[in-house]
Amino acid sequence: MAAHNFLWSLTKNCFTFGLIGLTVSDRYASIVPVRGSSMSPTFNPTTDSFMGSLSDDHVLMEKFCLQKYKFSHGDVIVFCSPSNHKEKHVKRIIGLPGDWIGTPMTNDVVKVPNGHCWVEGDNPSSSLDSRSFGPIPLGLVKGRVTHILWPPQRVRHVERKNHQKRHSPS
Amino acid sequence: MSTYLIGQKTCMNCKTLNPQLPLQPCRCILGEISNMAAHNFLWSLTKNCFTFGLIGLTVSDRYASIVPVRGSSMSPTFNPTTDSFMGSLSDDHVLMEKFCLQKYKFSHGDVIVFCSPSNHKEKHVKRIIGLPGDWIGTPMTNDVVKVPNGHCWVEGDNPSSSLDSRSFGPIPLGLVKGRVTHILWPPQRVRHVERKNHQKRHSPS
Repeated sequence: MAAHNFLWSLTKNCFTFGLIGLTVSDRYASIVPVRGSSMSPTFNPTTDSFMGSLSDDHVLMEKFCLQKYKFSHGDVIVFCSPSNHKEKHVKRIIGLPGDWIGTPMTNDVVKVPNGHCWVEGDNPSSSLDSRSFGPIPLGLVKGRVTHILWPPQRVRHVERKNHQKRHSPS
Repeated sequence: MSTYLIGQKTCMNCKTLNPQLPLQPCRCILGEISNMAAHNFLWSLTKNCFTFGLIGLTVSDRYASIVPVRGSSMSPTFNPTTDSFMGSLSDDHVLMEKFCLQKYKFSHGDVIVFCSPSNHKEKHVKRIIGLPGDWIGTPMTNDVVKVPNGHCWVEGDNPSSSLDSRSFGPIPLGLVKGRVTHILWPPQRVRHVERKNHQKRHSPS
């Protein structure tokens, strides 16, 4: 009976801790792998096909920003792709609602509508971002990246970077 | 912590003389046992409440939750009467399931809850009229719009007072938060929410 009680209370504790982990991961913070090189050199600065996905950066994504929706210019965010809702992308916020964004390619100036933001990758040559699909609704944002957690030699805080020449505040 | 030996009449725990020893346990021990039992009971009650609260939170986040419907943009499906006397008590409360988000299987005529594209803090309830690849005719402007990949066209059942895709265009499917399956409140309106197809408004791809 003592072994039975021990197993039962072990099961209950595992279940409770699993549930706590799930709730924390859903609501507060989780760890996500970054694929691709659209955010080089911030993430994945080398394309190492030998190691494959083991060498991809794994980052800490916090969801506290979703409670009050406080985003700043230069934040790195994770969002659902507007063209394929099953994919998530990691990019940097360049413009917030009301900003004017200059697109050098088309010599257009775009105003970011209410409730939207303009995102771009740090590596413009291989980045599919708002220059292709336009501003994205803020409702698609899933979280904000604060730290790189893997590989161990690249553990650091992810800084905000402002692109002064690309946007004019409203 | 034995309190009595044969012949001993002084409790070894509280050190008072108790003529009822050793036949009955001392009152101090009974008090401690009942304290410990109450303490254990409260502690296990707290743990159970915490666990059930956590289960409820996880289920509400991932599988299904109950949301109130405000406004009359979905009359007569939801809120068929504007009853300002009762206020928010008479609003329909519906069951929103999130299983559809696992595989993103939506059908024409589903009623969905989504984040507004113009104000991410608000959620709206509307019906899916068009899925990716459909052509939607807008009578007002005589335009025909093709719903892009990863988007859907939503409209309210009450076109005269509904702010929907006719104003803000197709919405990305990533904004969808869940699908409405049943009305749960008020009790006289408990029913399953049916799919309704608008045959004259869209042409399948």
